[in-house]
Amino acid sequence: MVKRRRQEILIEMQKMIYLDHNATTPLSQKVIDQIPSILQAWGNPSSIHWSGREPKNLIRNARQVLATALKVSPLEIIFNSGASEGNSAVILGIYEIFKNSKNHFMCSQVEHPSVLKAFQHIEKLGARVDYIPVSRKGELDLNFFKKHISSNTALVSVMMANNETGNIFPIAELVKMTHAVGALFHSDCVQVLGKIPLNLSELNVDYATLSAHKFYSLKGTGALFVRKNSPYQKFIFGGGQERSRRGGTENTLGIASFGVMANLLDQVVFRQKELAQLRDHMEARILLEIDGVSLTGNQSARLPNTSSMVLRDIDGETLLMSLDLKGFAVSTGAACSSGSPEPSPVLLAMGLSRAEAQSSLRISLGWETNLGQIDFFINILKEVVLRLRNISQKTNMKELSLMREQSL
Amino acid sequence: MTNPMAMTTAKRRPRVLVAMSGGVDSSVAAALLVDQGYEVIGATMQVWDYSSCDIDEGNGTCCSSLDVDDARSVADRLGIPFYVLNCEAKFKSQVIDPFLKSYLEGQTPLPCVNCNTYLKFDHLIQKMRELDCDFLATGHYAQVKMDENGIAAIYTSTDDWKDQTYFLFTLESSIVPHLLFPIGGMKKPEVRRIAEEKGLTVAKKKDSTGICFVGNMGYSKFIESQVDPMILKTKTGLIKRLPSGVVMGRHEGIHHYTYGQSKGIGLTHHEKLFVVKIDAETNTVWVGDEEYLYSQQADIVDPHWLTSWNEDEIYQVKIRYQHKSTPAKIRKTEKGYRIDFLEKQRAITPGQAAVIYKEQKLVGGGWITI
Repeated sequence: MVKRRRQEILIEMQKMIYLDHNATTPLSQKVIDQIPSILQAWGNPSSIHWSGREPKNLIRNARQVLATALKVSPLEIIFNSGASEGNSAVILGIYEIFKNSKNHFMCSQVEHPSVLKAFQHIEKLGARVDYIPVSRKGELDLNFFKKHISSNTALVSVMMANNETGNIFPIAELVKMTHAVGALFHSDCVQVLGKIPLNLSELNVDYATLSAHKFYSLKGTGALFVRKNSPYQKFIFGGGQERSRRGGTENTLGIASFGVMANLLDQVVFRQKELAQLRDHMEARILLEIDGVSLTGNQSARLPNTSSMVLRDIDGETLLMSLDLKGFAVSTGAACSSGSPEPSPVLLAMGLSRAEAQSSLRISLGWETNLGQIDFFINILKEVVLRLRNISQKTNMKELSLMREQSL
Repeated sequence: MTNPMAMTTAKRRPRVLVAMSGGVDSSVAAALLVDQGYEVIGATMQVWDYSSCDIDEGNGTCCSSLDVDDARSVADRLGIPFYVLNCEAKFKSQVIDPFLKSYLEGQTPLPCVNCNTYLKFDHLIQKMRELDCDFLATGHYAQVKMDENGIAAIYTSTDDWKDQTYFLFTLESSIVPHLLFPIGGMKKPEVRRIAEEKGLTVAKKKDSTGICFVGNMGYSKFIESQVDPMILKTKTGLIKRLPSGVVMGRHEGIHHYTYGQSKGIGLTHHEKLFVVKIDAETNTVWVGDEEYLYSQQADIVDPHWLTSWNEDEIYQVKIRYQHKSTPAKIRKTEKGYRIDFLEKQRAITPGQAAVIYKEQKLVGGGWITI
């Protein structure tokens, strides 16, 4: 019976409209099709005998494809469990390596918690960390950056694009200034794959972190880019996997699935245009048809799929629930493990008030989003916003008592 | 059971928001509503989980408790949408802070009423309207029935022992028509039986007793964990004998005492003595013979009325949750209202509520003051 219900839920999910691709993405059909054959390669990739050969090949191939797409060498890719692990590995590792020589670190105020909390952790251990402020438009305060970076700086970490506003930061420029003082640069690139082209060699970062599940593949898999000759200290001890840089038997299924998608990274150039067209159409309609909406952040440099807005007099939590009950998945800010959202720290850091942050909505589109879905979504959004702004406190006693009697 | 969708003249199936705590009662309430044909949406209020949350690490956000997981698993089993509502800030300001303040003022507070007033039947009523629901349901042992004038009113549960209407006296009468108490007409064993029949994982879960956020810690420890030690230091004082005023000893803070207490007073004395009065102005704890605990009157402030009443009639009044109601008359005074009991009552405690009934119907109540 439980199995049947699960089946029903899955069927229902297909009728739903998913507009929360910055949280995670649905699995690509290409990945789903490949999974059964990847599962055949169940052996330990480190085994010398026949069972290890196929998984080893799948992993090598995925590494090659991903490295080519990112314009780096396969040796510079370490597969791991995802960007949170990668971020901890880089930040804690660099602290450890330089703790007796360079003690200063910098990151933006709008980093993902996996970056912010890692920095807060090394602060407790003795590091000095400066958090670069952002403007109301979400632009990084470059003067603050220039003022605080010094020869004592070990590492700078700035995300390539923000998960909530989609704002893109000038990484190449920051890397130049960082390298000029002899410091290292890390970028959390988790929101970038599949949205805009990512060329790590051109960006010239020392470290970059990625998660497969933000790019239509499986959860629990990611990649950490470590530039050749940049210092790195292993984070998970174990066997000789990943050239002894990350212990633990490889997640063959996750890595090979990631490889399947990495093969499609050359589509990003036209996907980017498609997404931007859809997003711009959506924003134009919303601004025209719904009162009291303002877009958040910098509209000139942002991901093509992300739209963040404040809806006056609307409680974001309630809006999300109301849309969910009608089959739409959107977000109010960062998803939280207990499902109980606090006002987004990113929006607060940008200078939005608590009330504005609590009235905010994030819509993030994906490769499978189409115009029909967007138009349908806007129609429902309009209806829900209108209803929420005009909630009647009046009670229709007669109707309620009728419903009460009849249900008992 | 009838399917309301088939019979109602309303345009759609009645939609109900059900407050799910993860306990047996609210879980069964939700299950019954699903059976009755309502469109059911489950919600848990995330309040501070004082029992299992590491305060430094959790920072008061996102610390999911096991109860929330239980509620989620029941909702999943019933196939209804489920949400966790963030109520931590509101819970702290409307429930925890007044609770601490009340103890430090020498009273014995009743935080469950505030939780009902400001969270369950305010925040959730607001959510009910926002989510386009017709009703709000909870697992309270209470009933909504039409009174003699055809107006929806709150009546006591059929389970006298579990009846929870004592905690509901602050409800606005305007919201009563929106309330459903699906298990209010049942007794606890029946509720458990239904939970088992339906295979709800919470069927064998223990009843929650006492105050949820205090947990196993005990009141004194809880207060000490939340209040600045410097403030607690200012609450120490003398223990005096009533009526003589003889000093019997010193105490470590008035928050350690409650009216009627006879154990743990901190005195070695040959007679059995009781806390008969706590004077927060001078931090004096008065002790004396049991007879001083008895009084025939209680003054109440901040009254709240759900239905009309008059000074001539005799009502049933409860002065604490586990108290058998007793006959009394009510009259208005200059400062508030006075309750005149027909018989003397033991340990009428400031900070607790006096809740007034006309037979089974909830009339209203107020806060007992000195």
